[in-house]
Amino acid sequence: MPIVIDIAFYAAFALFATATLTSFLYLRGDKPNMLAVTQRAISIAAGLLLVAFCLRWVNYGRIPLTTMVDIVNLLLVMSTGIVLMLVRTEPLRPLVCYYAPPLAALSLMNVAIGFKTLHEAPKELDDVFLAVHVGLAFLAYALFLIASLTSAVYIVQARRLKSPLNTARTAKLPPLEYLDATLYRLIKWGYPFFAITLILGFVGVYLYPDELGVRWWLSAKILFAVFMAGLYSFSFHSRRLGLLRGQKLAYVMVIGFGAMLAIYLLLSVTNLKDAGFWSSAA
Amino acid sequence: MNLVVVGLSHHTSSVELRERLHFAEKMLPGALMNLREQLGDAGVVILSTCNRVEIYASTEASSGEAHDTIRKFISDWHKVPESEFGEALYEYDGRETIGHLFRVTSSLDSLVVGEAQILGQVHDAFLVAQTEQCADKVTHALFQRAFAIAKDVRTRTSISAGKVSVGSVAVDLAVSIFSDLAGKTVMVIGSGKMGEVTLRSLVTRGVDRVLLVNRSQEKAMSLAERVRGEPLPLDALEENLPRADIVISSTAAPQYLLTPAHFHRALRKRGNEPFCVIDIAVPRNIDPAVKKMDNVYLYDVDDLQSVAAANLDARRQEVDQCMKRIEEGVDQFWGWLQGLVAEPTIVSLAANLHAIRERELHKSLNQLPNLGENDEAVREIMTALSKRITNSMLHQPTVQLKREVADQDPSKVLAFAKRLFGIKEG
Repeated sequence: MPIVIDIAFYAAFALFATATLTSFLYLRGDKPNMLAVTQRAISIAAGLLLVAFCLRWVNYGRIPLTTMVDIVNLLLVMSTGIVLMLVRTEPLRPLVCYYAPPLAALSLMNVAIGFKTLHEAPKELDDVFLAVHVGLAFLAYALFLIASLTSAVYIVQARRLKSPLNTARTAKLPPLEYLDATLYRLIKWGYPFFAITLILGFVGVYLYPDELGVRWWLSAKILFAVFMAGLYSFSFHSRRLGLLRGQKLAYVMVIGFGAMLAIYLLLSVTNLKDAGFWSSAA
Repeated sequence: MNLVVVGLSHHTSSVELRERLHFAEKMLPGALMNLREQLGDAGVVILSTCNRVEIYASTEASSGEAHDTIRKFISDWHKVPESEFGEALYEYDGRETIGHLFRVTSSLDSLVVGEAQILGQVHDAFLVAQTEQCADKVTHALFQRAFAIAKDVRTRTSISAGKVSVGSVAVDLAVSIFSDLAGKTVMVIGSGKMGEVTLRSLVTRGVDRVLLVNRSQEKAMSLAERVRGEPLPLDALEENLPRADIVISSTAAPQYLLTPAHFHRALRKRGNEPFCVIDIAVPRNIDPAVKKMDNVYLYDVDDLQSVAAANLDARRQEVDQCMKRIEEGVDQFWGWLQGLVAEPTIVSLAANLHAIRERELHKSLNQLPNLGENDEAVREIMTALSKRITNSMLHQPTVQLKREVADQDPSKVLAFAKRLFGIKEG
C-alpha cells in the first residue's frame, strides 16, 4: 500500500509540473493544443492525489485531515476541482494555464513536506462533525485561493486594457466581465461555506470546551479564521452592493490572500499555529 | 504544360491604372472565353479586385507566347495600349506562378497583410472560370491547393490575429472588456464619420441599444433613423451616461464634454460596472484624466492607431512562418504538375510493355502442350502472372521518371526516356 501512495503522490507532482510547462508553451502562443494537455494533466494529478488521500484513509483507518501533507493534498484536490469546473466555460478555458503554475508550486511544497512525513499516521479526529468542519474549511480556503488567482489575472488583464500594446495580448485572457463574474461567483460560494465552517467551529467549542481552553477566541487558528471571515464578508457585501468592483476588489483579494499567507507562515515558523497560544490557561 | 500568370497589383500600379484594367463581374465570362480561344484550349482564371488584376493560365504554349498573348488580350479588351501598363505588369511561369497564387490567396501579398477578403475573391474568380468551363484539370488542382494552403496558413499561424483598422480595434477592445456585446448599450456623442463607422462595427457585433447625443437634434434624428437609435439632446448627456456601457465621442467641440466627475457619478449609479470609452475626436472630447479611473477604459485615436499598427507588425512577423508553409505547398504541387507532364510518356511506355506482354503470352500459350480450349483457368493464371510482372517492372521507371522530371529539365528527361524505351509518341 505505501508504495502505491508514493507513486500516486509523486506522479501527481510530476503532472502538475508538466502542466506548468504546457501552460508556458500555450501562453507563448505557438501551441494551441497545449491548453487541452494542461487541463488533462491537472485533472489526472488531482485524481492521483485523491487516490493517495483515500489510500491513506484505508491504510490507517482514519480520515487523513490532521497532518500538513494531508491538508495540502486536500487543498490541491479541491482547488483543482474548482479550476476544472470553472474552465468548462469556453472563454475561461485559457485560465487553466494561469492556475496550473501556482498549483504546481503548492504541489512542490507538498512534496517537500511529504518527503519525510508522507507515511506518518494521521491523528484521530474526535468525530465526523470535526471532519465536516475541517473539510468545509478547506473547501472555503480552496475557493479563496482560486479567487485570489482569478483576481491576479483580472489585474493583469485590466492593466493590459488600460494601455493596450496590441489586441493579440488582451485576446489571450478572458474578457474582464467574465473574470469579474467568476471572481464574484467564487466569493459567493466561499463565503457561505466559511460561514458554516465558523458556526460548526463555535458548536465544536461548545461540545469540546477543553479542546481550545477558556480564552479560545484568542487562539491562533481562530484569529486566522476570523481574519479570513472578515475578508470574505467585506469582499462579498461590497461587491454585492456594487461599492467595490473591478481592480479594487481584485487588489483586496490578492492583498488579503498575501496577508493570510504571511500570517500562516509566521504562525508556522514561530510554532504558534497549533499551540494553545494565550488560551491554554483555563 | 505551362502555368503562367500576368498581372498588376497595388505594389506595381496606381489605382487609376487598376480601374482602367479592371474586369467587371458582368464582363468576366466573355473575357474568359475570348482569352481561352486565343490561348488554344487553355485553362484560364481572371482575378480582378480593387487591389489587383491577374490572369492565370495553364497552356501548351510556351511561357513567352502565353505572356505575349495575355498582354495583348488585356490591351485589346480594355482598349488601353500596352505601353501604358507594360511597366506595371509582372509575369511569372512555372513554380513562380504557383508560389505567387499561394501568396495572394494566403493574403501575404495583400495591402493589409492577413486580411480575409482575398480568399473569398479568389474563390469567386475561380467559380466563374469553372462555371464558364474555362478551368481545366491543372487550374482546378492549382486553385484547390491554393485554398487549402490559405486555410492552413490562417489557422496555424497568427497572420490574421488582431485587427488593423481603428473601428475594428475599438470593437476588439470592447470585446476584451465585455464578454458579449449583445445586450450592451452604446452612446454616440456627435455625428462624425469615424464615430459612425465604429458604431456600425459595434452594431454588427450585437450591440442592441444605441443612444445618439447631438447638439443638433436634426443630425441626431437623421443618424437615429439610419442605425435605429434613440436621439438625445446634448444637455441629456450626463443624465444618460450611466445607461451606456460603451461611449463613442466624435464631436468638433473644443472643450472636454466628459470629465472624471461625470464618470464618478455615473459609476456610482451603475454599481461600478465598467465603461469602455472611445474618444476619436480631435481635439479630444473626454478629459484624459479619466484614463486613471478604475473601471473606465478610455482610448483616444492615438491609442487605437498604435494598437492597429502593432497588430499589423505582429502579422508581418508571421510572414516567414507562412512562407515556409507556402514553399512546402509549392514543392508538392510542382512535383504533382511535373508528374502530369510525364504522364503521356508513362502511358506510352506502359502500352509498349503490355503489347510485348500480350504477344509473348500468346506465343507461350500456343507452345504449351495439351492445353485445350476449355482450360480457361490456366489461361487466366498465365495472363495474371504476366500482368503482375509487367506492372512490377513498370513501377520503378514510372516513379523515377516523375522524380527526374520534377528535378531536371522535363524536355531533356522525357526525350531520354523515349530514346531509352523506344517510345515514338507521347
